[in-house]
Amino acid sequence: MADTGQQHPISVYFWIWALLFVFSAASYMVDYLAFQGYTRWTLIIIFMMLKAGFIVAIFMHMRWERVALITAIMVPPGALLVLVGLMAMESDYTWLTRVVYLGADPAPVPLPPPSH
Amino acid sequence: MAVEAQIPYQEAMELHDPHSWITKYWFSQDHKVIAIQYGITAIGVGLVALVLSGMMRLQLGFPDQFDFIDPEAYYQFITMHGMIMVIYLLTALLLGGFGNLLVPLMCGARDMVFPYVNMISYHVYFLSVIILLASYFVPGGPTGAGWTLYPPQAILTGTPGVDWGILLMLGSLAVFIVAFTMGGLNYVTTILQARTRGMTLMRMPLSVWGIFMATVLGLLAFPALFVSAIMMILDKTIGTSFFMPAVVSIGDSLDYSGGSPLLFQHLFWFFGHPEVYIVALPAFGIVSDLISTHARKNIFGYRMMVWAIVAIGVLSFVVWAHHMYVSGMHPWFGFFFATTTLIIAVPTAIKVYNWTLTLWRANIHLTVPMLFAIAFVITFVMGGITGLFLGNVIVDVPLSDTYFVVAHFHMVMGVSPILVIFGAIYHWYPKMTGKMLNDTLGHIHFWVTFLGTYIIYYPMHYLGFVGVPRRYFANGEMAIIDESVIMLNQTITIAALIVGVFQIVFIWNLIYSYFKGRDAGPNPWKATSLEWQTPETPPRHGNWAEKLPTVYRWAYDYSVPGMKDDFIPQTEPRTAEETAAGRTE
Amino acid sequence: MAEATGLRNLQLVNDWADDVAVFRAVPWGKAMMWIFLLSDTFIFTCFLTSYMTVRMTTAEPWPNPSEVFALEAFGVPVPLLLIAIMTFILITSSGTMAMAVNMGYRRKRVPAALLMLVTAVFGAMFVGMQMFEWTKLIVDEGVRPWGNPMGAAQFGASFFMITGFHGLHVSAGVVYLIIVAVRVWRGRYEEKGYDIIEITGLYWHFVDLVWVFIFAFFYLW
Ligand code: HEM
Ligand SMILES: [Cu+2]
Repeated sequence: MADTGQQHPISVYFWIWALLFVFSAASYMVDYLAFQGYTRWTLIIIFMMLKAGFIVAIFMHMRWERVALITAIMVPPGALLVLVGLMAMESDYTWLTRVVYLGADPAPVPLPPPSH
Repeated sequence: MAVEAQIPYQEAMELHDPHSWITKYWFSQDHKVIAIQYGITAIGVGLVALVLSGMMRLQLGFPDQFDFIDPEAYYQFITMHGMIMVIYLLTALLLGGFGNLLVPLMCGARDMVFPYVNMISYHVYFLSVIILLASYFVPGGPTGAGWTLYPPQAILTGTPGVDWGILLMLGSLAVFIVAFTMGGLNYVTTILQARTRGMTLMRMPLSVWGIFMATVLGLLAFPALFVSAIMMILDKTIGTSFFMPAVVSIGDSLDYSGGSPLLFQHLFWFFGHPEVYIVALPAFGIVSDLISTHARKNIFGYRMMVWAIVAIGVLSFVVWAHHMYVSGMHPWFGFFFATTTLIIAVPTAIKVYNWTLTLWRANIHLTVPMLFAIAFVITFVMGGITGLFLGNVIVDVPLSDTYFVVAHFHMVMGVSPILVIFGAIYHWYPKMTGKMLNDTLGHIHFWVTFLGTYIIYYPMHYLGFVGVPRRYFANGEMAIIDESVIMLNQTITIAALIVGVFQIVFIWNLIYSYFKGRDAGPNPWKATSLEWQTPETPPRHGNWAEKLPTVYRWAYDYSVPGMKDDFIPQTEPRTAEETAAGRTE
Repeated sequence: MAEATGLRNLQLVNDWADDVAVFRAVPWGKAMMWIFLLSDTFIFTCFLTSYMTVRMTTAEPWPNPSEVFALEAFGVPVPLLLIAIMTFILITSSGTMAMAVNMGYRRKRVPAALLMLVTAVFGAMFVGMQMFEWTKLIVDEGVRPWGNPMGAAQFGASFFMITGFHGLHVSAGVVYLIIVAVRVWRGRYEEKGYDIIEITGLYWHFVDLVWVFIFAFFYLW
């Protein structure tokens, strides 16, 4: 089975490489500029998905695979979305019970790290 | 590389032929030998678990008569029994054993795609068994946390085996998962990428479909157990608090704080429910083939059967919290999980209808494998129906943690797959050894096991209704423990001991027939699927001759009208009449 | 086979309905690696979900990662400086890996092997920086798996567990890369073809991929 694999111009890789740098820098800036709340989350998730998408699509060559392989790999993680979603609900609920019944502080503030 | 172009590669697959005793029987890369290794090891630990269950029954039937069973020992029996049965016996035997044996033979491959990895898989499994059994020889003995291993109790003082046992259990599970992954990747890749000419997915015997889907479930569900095992080991050894809230134990407040015990339960059942189907689906597949072959009739609704397997596999990832109705989880979850649980019953019921319709007006041969197959259908219906009760929150709340649940899951995931395994061994033993198993011994084994099972598990439903709790060492002076409960418990114990001891008949049959059994010939059941068409019996290393077989039809051409024989092997080209009659599949 | 109905015209359906292999032109090893990575995805997601759960349920304050992981540069604390550098290193290693795959398929085995070794070096650098990060966290900030001076005990527990498991993957990847690179160098795959580099690459890119998620969910949340 010689050399039937993925063969693409090197320039594509350089492009993606550069893009990943840009997106990483961008998501770093989200923290540096201290965006908070929904803006922060939206930006973080967008940049994360973009980076993940390009790594999978180009570096791992998913874009050039046949639909059979793409679906076989991309569909099963759907089960994980169910897990994550339900666990998020569950965690909110547990937290609520801790605040309501155990008198926990709903908005605690962390101490700064000792070395600063 | 066109699809066809892979075939010469498969035909020329490098096989490492054994050179010595040790490479032939111990470090063998032949999938059939590995299958037998898995089989023998699994049955070996399975017998340990059987003995443990016998001891539990002694205590339940005749409380306080036996000095060597104290409460600690009882909990250790329970835990080891449950875990061995579910993981080290059923999962290992159905996938490691039958998966290894059947996948390459039924797909028409020379071997698994990576025989070396396959060999390692068995040895890692063997290691996990050793680690598990080692827990009987460490201070404190094995863990008594129950097979669900729920924290916080699993790692707190008061539970037996809290020092060493629990760590060995978790370690052994992690090692088992590594072994399973190595084997499982092989089975899946072989089925997807290394079938022979003409073997489309929709011509595969249902055994392979069941094994395939179960393996996929395993590859995706075991990670949750693996992760929980690691986190619990960390909680236990270095004092992290993943699963541990602030706890006061025997008057001391421990250093744990803020962890979530419910997280463990969710992870455990995210693995645990698919695990139920990891055990069930191969059994579903195998039993379909047994029924079709011994009823000389094509399986009813083949496509429906395939899609039911797929649907069950998919749905089994979204029903897990039906094991947690009384856990104090989010109050909305009950509704969601009850709904999904009832939906998953639909494809399951379809399978039962199709088995029944296959038997309908068929030319049934009551061979030993067929007896076991029919017994499976009956038992599975019993267990499945009680599952519908437990799936509804309101009904489950009073039944939870009673003997009703024990009855349910023993019927559905205990006895049912075991019956299929027995049937399958009677069915394929001739191919593996060239000898038939003794029929008389087989009948004795069947009737004692089947009837005994019902004497054991049927009354447990009643015990559950009156409220006998699960996982109790002794029921003491509870008001519900009346004469009927005591009497039934004694009956169950006696039946369980008899059934347990009678398994010797089966083991004896395996050994006896190997030496003295009747010659089987290549195809004693006149079956159509590929494994019966190998050039040699038992098949040699590499399975096929120079050329791989070519498949022209599905595996269920039994009693085709107008044909000479009542079965047509998958390797038989289509006749002109068939084509003319428009039969293409 | 089945009549050419509408569905059979879809490539997806056609591939799954074929005999021999579902994934056309995909070598066994590559199919197996993809399926393994799928399974590994479930492992990492379970880790991250557990982290999410303990973080969302705890009633203790969660230490602020951007302060905890800050590094002094020219006298000012720069948040997440080291993590940013580690991210860039890992991305760069993914780039060199992708080029190694490319060289392999062009049958330039020496450059391919060299690029793989460069990738391995980047990987080793990543692990080295991670060790530095762990040391700083343990020694300077007093973070332990069972507790820390800033807030919730689960901070250290999740951090060490998740980055530790990822670090193990990177280390294993470095060893794997070196082994394959040496074999490529020696010409072992001249006959069989260079799929092996692509397969190794899949694993390596996956490790990078996981880091993307850890970066977003652990450091930026
Ligand atoms: C019709 C399909 C099924 C339904 C609706 C169903 C439902 C349930 C429910 C709701 C429970 C939890 C009971 C409780 O703890 O109160 C349960 C327990 C259990 N089921 Fe099923 N089940 C089904 C099929 C199966 C199958 C096919 C198997 C195995 C092959 C199985 C094995 C088990 C086991 C082992 C338990 C015990 C779990 C424990 O330790 O609590 N079930 N089932
Ligand atoms: Cu379940």
